[in-house]
Amino acid sequence: MTTDASPALQVDDLVVAYGRVQAVRGVSFTVPSGGLVALVGANGAGKSSILNALAGLVRPRSGSVRFGGRDVTRRPAHELVAAGLVQVPEGREVLATMTVDENLRLGAWHRRSDADERIDEMYGRFPVLAERRALQAGALSGGEQQMLAIARALVAGPSVLLMDEPSMGLAPKIVDEVFAVIAEIQAAGTTVVLVEQNARRALRAATYGYVLESGTVAHEGPADDLLADRRVIQAYLGIE
Amino acid sequence: MQQIVNGVFTGSIYALFAIGFTLVFGILHRLNLAHSAVFAAGAFIGIELAENAGMPIWLAIPSVLVAGGVLGLVIERLAFRPLGGRHDAHFAGLISSIAVGAMFLALLQARYGPDTRRFAPDTFPQHRYDVLGVSVSLLQLTVVAVSLVLMVGLSVLVARSRLGRAMRAVAENPHAARVLGINVDRVTAATFALSSALGAVAGVLFALSVNSAQLSMGFNIELKGLAVIIVGGMGSLKGAMVGGLALGLIEVFAVTQIGSSWRDVIAFGLLIAILLVRPQGLFGSRKVREV
Repeated sequence: MTTDASPALQVDDLVVAYGRVQAVRGVSFTVPSGGLVALVGANGAGKSSILNALAGLVRPRSGSVRFGGRDVTRRPAHELVAAGLVQVPEGREVLATMTVDENLRLGAWHRRSDADERIDEMYGRFPVLAERRALQAGALSGGEQQMLAIARALVAGPSVLLMDEPSMGLAPKIVDEVFAVIAEIQAAGTTVVLVEQNARRALRAATYGYVLESGTVAHEGPADDLLADRRVIQAYLGIE
Repeated sequence: MQQIVNGVFTGSIYALFAIGFTLVFGILHRLNLAHSAVFAAGAFIGIELAENAGMPIWLAIPSVLVAGGVLGLVIERLAFRPLGGRHDAHFAGLISSIAVGAMFLALLQARYGPDTRRFAPDTFPQHRYDVLGVSVSLLQLTVVAVSLVLMVGLSVLVARSRLGRAMRAVAENPHAARVLGINVDRVTAATFALSSALGAVAGVLFALSVNSAQLSMGFNIELKGLAVIIVGGMGSLKGAMVGGLALGLIEVFAVTQIGSSWRDVIAFGLLIAILLVRPQGLFGSRKVREV
């Protein structure tokens, strides 16, 4: 797909533990620049823990993360966001008592010089946010909050976007919209790592996929191959 | 009328003390009980600068502001940050801040001894003005003006500035703030610095107004400040301002109308009465904090 010298993300033998419980037990994977890689698997398979470790929100016990060729293992989240590795968190985490506009301004925390332009760009792209800019984010619908969470991550100007369960709790029609936005983000050149319980949906959007099971990689391959793989279908996708 | 002026004068110092106290609580959900030691330290540092270093008072007050900010950073580093990861961080910080406050007082005592310290008589010009039969001193006007400017400045900073926006984000959801790339440790430190800067200035203004500073001067105001921020609504800047001024006014009226021995009975009795009617405080919200 791409022939860049270094992949956008290179994860080697990542271990994440909470106390004595190992949530991620030695996971390795590569995210090519410009790609859309899906991490799928059941609840508790370690998907979110991987994403939080990549985002600098959880310190991995061992292993390494390279971002654009640079070792960023255990760097704090604020450094990673400034460098262009940005997360759209599970559950959206919009700041409910602050306005839509303030949420976007906080997303632009590290973009001091061009914050206004980037925020205006987001208003152009998500007209519903422009209409609601003075409203408290807590007053938005679930789908609007998800769009705000995505827009808020995009104003930071990420080269890699980590998306944690963006379709969770949303109506099917809104899920379609969210996946359309994800496709646009990738088309615009941003690398995406997508964590989803909705495995079939995620693999259809992705170029490459990893199926996780109890903190390890059970299957991997081009997303189309995984979608056609009998074992993956039986264990994770079910019959449509 | 004269009583109102006196009440506003005392109340503005209470309010300035309380607003810093409530800032840390409102943003970080921590009670910093070293705040009273910062108040005392502000007074002693002010006297040191004015008397020993020969600094004019208009320069000493901003210097106390800066020194207070540094003390806030020290409190955050020593009393709060090391315990931040604990499940009982709330309570642990409360206790360790008492300890850091005690250390500050011990350092002050080591340098200045246990005796009362005073400004030289000519530190502040002794002008008095008569306005509509009310006598107001330049000192009173200055204290009220400095307090108001600092309190309004803090409110505007929290409401409008980039740092203030980050502080409110940390107050609502520290995890979301981290996800957005905000350096939460730095915002936390800045909150403590602002809080202590105002607490220290409250101390030097108080010392100027009674022309004395004692090591124990923080204890009385700590209880009053706590009462003020509870009555104002925990974490509410406006509540601390209004509550502080109200307490000053109530005290002055209690002393002049009923007698000085009744001052605390009346003042705290009224505060309790307010809480019975509005348990969340004057400007507090009823919302249950999410963990």
